[in-house]
Amino acid sequence: MRTINFTLNGEQVSAHVAEHQSIVEILRDRFDLFGARESCAQGLCGCCTVLVDGTAVSGCLYLAAFANGKSITTVEGLATNGKLTPIQEAFLEVGASQCGFCTPGFVLMAGQLLEAHPDPDDDDIRHYLSGNLCRCAAYPEIIAAVKLAAGRLKAGTT
Amino acid sequence: MTPFELAEPKTLKEAVALLDADDPTIRPIAGGTALMLMMKAGVFRPSKLVSLSAIKDMSSIETVNGELKVGATTPLAVLERSDVVRKHAGVIIKTLRTLSNIRVRNVATVGGALAHADPHMDLPPVLIALGARVVVQGKSGERAIPVADLFAGYFETVLVKDELISSLIVPAQNGRRAAYLKCTTRAVHDWPALGVAVSVAADGNAIKDASIVVSAATEKPGRLVGAEKAAQGTVDDAGWRRAGEAAAEEAELITDGQGSAAYKKELVRVYVARALRAALGAQ
Ligand SMILES: Cc1cc2nc3c(=O)[nH]c(=O)nc-3n(C[C@H](O)[C@H](O)[C@H](O)COP(=O)(O)OP(=O)(O)OC[C@H]3O[C@@H](n4cnc5c(N)ncnc54)[C@H](O)[C@@H]3O)c2cc1C
Repeated sequence: MRTINFTLNGEQVSAHVAEHQSIVEILRDRFDLFGARESCAQGLCGCCTVLVDGTAVSGCLYLAAFANGKSITTVEGLATNGKLTPIQEAFLEVGASQCGFCTPGFVLMAGQLLEAHPDPDDDDIRHYLSGNLCRCAAYPEIIAAVKLAAGRLKAGTT
Repeated sequence: MTPFELAEPKTLKEAVALLDADDPTIRPIAGGTALMLMMKAGVFRPSKLVSLSAIKDMSSIETVNGELKVGATTPLAVLERSDVVRKHAGVIIKTLRTLSNIRVRNVATVGGALAHADPHMDLPPVLIALGARVVVQGKSGERAIPVADLFAGYFETVLVKDELISSLIVPAQNGRRAAYLKCTTRAVHDWPALGVAVSVAADGNAIKDASIVVSAATEKPGRLVGAEKAAQGTVDDAGWRRAGEAAAEEAELITDGQGSAAYKKELVRVYVARALRAALGAQ
């Protein structure tokens, strides 16, 4: 066992963890953050996506011990003062989720996409989201939401 | 997963010292993407993992004497975005874009992508075709191993258990052109049934020298020297198809969930010719 100190959604936190525990286990068991969830357990589906120092990783394949000294962001940390991000708003408006299980992962990956490609074409969108699976197959709506958010973000920054 | 110890050495030397040539339950962990899967599946139960993440100077990309040198803990995503890599061997970048997904590439490392030795992986055949080598650190010093000689078999390398890959070196390509194609059938899972990497020195479409590597369909990635000979001097589709025929005869193909050996033989025939055409940029 060891103590890890890290920033979680902007707050300094620490946790006592076993070496073999993954970050997604710790987030759920110790911090009651249920947005990242283990589904395929193989890094394929994207449901466990979290950001480590701003970069997306599969939380189910990432040892909690490696989070020591890092900054972790989960879907719960995106909104500021209860105000959703433009990507989250767009997902809601377009109805880009049915059961919602995969939504946190898609929202976080969409954020990574728009950071790197503010004006993404269909290839960029597919490339960034190809590692996320939606068993309800809401893909057309998800892509529409990403485009809507991209347009609004661009309008907001120019 | 079962409990294990986790060591986080600060230098390569310390890391090597923590490994044990005779103890397979102690292993290095880099990105952990492959190891986590093996540990979750219970096929690997380590007593100790030696993390390479805290080691300084092991994740850089530079050119040294015209050769590309990549530190072993460089994440694949960093390699993918490197202009140095793009200029040196653009085929690496193209290959990486089809390797897994962004999250895995953010974490998985160059060293792990080589040492894991799953024959279905994408980088090994490409690096063999490019004539790359790895620098390996052991207790008694350093040695260089051509990537072509790194693999001993299915999920096996020639590395001793207390050796670490410290860097990857890709020699100057001197105008050689390369391509990598993989064929993923809708089978058991998304691993390809076949990978073909080629690198050619050519005058227009006339091949002076070719490196032809197959992976995924074979127990380990490797060159097909007979096919390489057949490709030499070819100038058109008929010639590249002959090289494909030679490759199909030569490759030792395995039957598995991705397809039968007979099926893969047909794939090799077609894909080797296609890969040569793609490398040449021929229409
Ligand atoms: C969801 C998913 C999809 C994937 N899809 C693809 C794909 O399409 N194509 C593909 O090619 N691969 C694919 N992979 C495999 C991926 O490329 C490997 O998991 C990754 O490259 C391993 O790198 P790592 O740094 O995470 O290695 P680790 O998991 O840390 O280690 C892997 C092995 O290498 C050893 N090792 C690591 N670094 C060193 C070193 N420096 N010296 C000696 N030994 C070392 C470890 O001891 C271990 O045995 C996929 C993996 C996942 C999880």
